[in-house]
Amino acid sequence: MTPLTLLLLIAGLGLIGWLFARAKAQQLNTGRNALHSLPGHHGWYLALWIMLPALAGVFIWGIISPGLIHAAVMADPAAASLPAFDLERNAILSEAYSLANNPAAIAFNLDAEKLVPAVVAAKSKFGIMGAVLALLLAFAGGGFGYTRLSASFQARTKVERVVLLLLLAASLLAVLTTVGIIASLLFESGLFFSKVNPLEFVFGTHWSPANGSFGAVPLFWGTIFIGAIIAMIVAIPLGLMSAIYLTQYAHPDVRRWMKPMLEILAGIPTVVYGYFAALTVAPMVRDFAVMIGVSNPSTESALAAGLVMGIMIIPFVSSMADDSIAAVPQAMRDGSLAMGATRSETIKKVLIPAALPGIVAGVMLAISRAIGETMIVVMAAGAAANLSANPFASMTTVTFQIVQLLTGDQEFDSAKTLSAFALGLVLFVVTLILNIIALRVVKRFREAYE
Amino acid sequence: MSNPAKNWQSPDAERRLAKRYSAERRFKLLGLSAVGLSMAFLVFLIGTMLISGLGGLDWAFLSGSDSTEPDTAGVWGAVKGSLLTMVVTIALALPMGVFAAVYLEEFAPRNRWTDIVEVSINNLAAVPSIIFGLLGLAVFINFLGMPRSSPLVGGMTLALMTMPVIVIAGRNAIKAVPPSIRDAALAIGASKVQTVFHHVLPLALPGILTGAIIGMARALGETAPLLMIGMRAFVSTPPSGITDPATVLPMQIFLWSDEVDRAFVQNTSAAILVLLAFLLTMNGFAIYLRNKFETRW
Repeated sequence: MTPLTLLLLIAGLGLIGWLFARAKAQQLNTGRNALHSLPGHHGWYLALWIMLPALAGVFIWGIISPGLIHAAVMADPAAASLPAFDLERNAILSEAYSLANNPAAIAFNLDAEKLVPAVVAAKSKFGIMGAVLALLLAFAGGGFGYTRLSASFQARTKVERVVLLLLLAASLLAVLTTVGIIASLLFESGLFFSKVNPLEFVFGTHWSPANGSFGAVPLFWGTIFIGAIIAMIVAIPLGLMSAIYLTQYAHPDVRRWMKPMLEILAGIPTVVYGYFAALTVAPMVRDFAVMIGVSNPSTESALAAGLVMGIMIIPFVSSMADDSIAAVPQAMRDGSLAMGATRSETIKKVLIPAALPGIVAGVMLAISRAIGETMIVVMAAGAAANLSANPFASMTTVTFQIVQLLTGDQEFDSAKTLSAFALGLVLFVVTLILNIIALRVVKRFREAYE
Repeated sequence: MSNPAKNWQSPDAERRLAKRYSAERRFKLLGLSAVGLSMAFLVFLIGTMLISGLGGLDWAFLSGSDSTEPDTAGVWGAVKGSLLTMVVTIALALPMGVFAAVYLEEFAPRNRWTDIVEVSINNLAAVPSIIFGLLGLAVFINFLGMPRSSPLVGGMTLALMTMPVIVIAGRNAIKAVPPSIRDAALAIGASKVQTVFHHVLPLALPGILTGAIIGMARALGETAPLLMIGMRAFVSTPPSGITDPATVLPMQIFLWSDEVDRAFVQNTSAAILVLLAFLLTMNGFAIYLRNKFETRW
């Protein structure tokens, strides 16, 4: 019996229980206010009693049965000839398991093929045991639930308690994800820092994982140079001026069309930007570099990646600036205009200073997004860990190196692979700090004008 | 100083005024050119893709799978991989996101614990996508031993990334339902759960769906986390299930863009057009939903 049929069977039993209990409750419903809960609630009550114990049984069985299967296979006479050495034996065993799942495959190892009947037998035996266990639990639960049904039984309260637990569990998933991210990054980085000195990682200036030198300063510099300097030089003026034009000058009809158009820029996948940067922008930047007399410019340049990233960030900066300018009280604008200031003077001398905390917070969020951006730099920035301020040089970033280190086929516990998690940890912490500060600034700023 | 009117009309004042007006015009022009520059870039990007990709869009391209030959390579294998991944993502992220939003907005007590949940959701929405890839690699593949390169793991990773977006959109949609609806339901004897599931949720649904579609569109275009969990397999036959090795559309674009053969440029651009068409349809549908069902209370 496959797990899917078992699950369908349990769901079917639940449905039968639901129909049955509902019919029973309708029978009990002899007159006005005879029932405490609606028949449907009685139905759900019984269905939950049938399905939850059975599903719990399936889950627990799914955890313990591999061990039982393993023991049964090892007890088989065919397993006696297996090599005692763990690694070899496990390889043969795992091959036998995959053969049992997929009979059409061809065995590489004769020992594995001999084991297949034992594996199949053990699997079907424990599979049937699991199914029987689940069905027994379903019937036991259903029987208990059935004895509780009566006209005065408060089925609604009980069912709703389960619903609330479900809702609570869903909201805990978010916390669990955060904990999972922090725990896995810390764990793998811990392994990395047991091999490499953390001080060398943070302050070293030579990055060459293949030769075992893990000085990440060139990566940090590349990330900051591309994401926080070049991209922001593009995104801040363009984003801010777009927001000002669209909110202060543009006709409402124009605004209604232009704003979604601008937001399309934010919706284009980063891989498309990366391709565009590599295919179109990078050669243009190189030609420009040749024109202004830079000797020997490379195709992959920090400038190309940063420019395209800046364009990608424009709508983000623009909508943050838009929000904070809109939050400035109308009275301040009116006051300035009434004193005889022109619109641009009002914007420059009143609105922007008043909205500045919000705009700064928006820029911080934009930076945190830019330094976490991966595909553009992977496709356009290059792999060389250079520590230079030359925008035409090829430069690498934290995200690029994470991709580079983890997409090859290497064993998982080498310092080289683990360093990717240490870089991930740095990235996570930096973006987290930027976000927390920015959100706090925005909150305080909103409160100031409310 | 003797005559203010005359003072106001003095050549000096007029010159100053003209200067201020021209500054005003310059500023306005600057704003217009910022918008124009951004738009020009958008047009340039899409135009480039159209010019180099439109020639490659034909039925063979749309129905074929990846191949080492640029002429026979097609995009269907990747599209199917994307669809399977998105099915997993939506099946996990939508219920979980909606439930979490309902809990936080309707049931959660105001205490420290709820604050922690809220802060972590808001932060997750801003965590770089590649970090989710690292999580998927460390937890789903290395710790739980799930099949590498499969839509199952890809979908789960993207679901974790999409869930905060849905929670935030869902909370805003639920918040927008007026309290009078809840009061009316409670007054005639509905329980809190019945009120929420029979009255509040159906009214908030268009807003939730809009948020969900936008989150899905983001997930569909996402490449970096899937790169981490190895969804860059060379797949010459479309995946038949959620545990088969697969690749997704953005990943196919990335893989083709790496090819040395210049003939793949057309394929890459054509695949980008397919991806953009999907995204545009999804966003258009989200906007349609919002306009059609948005209620102003």
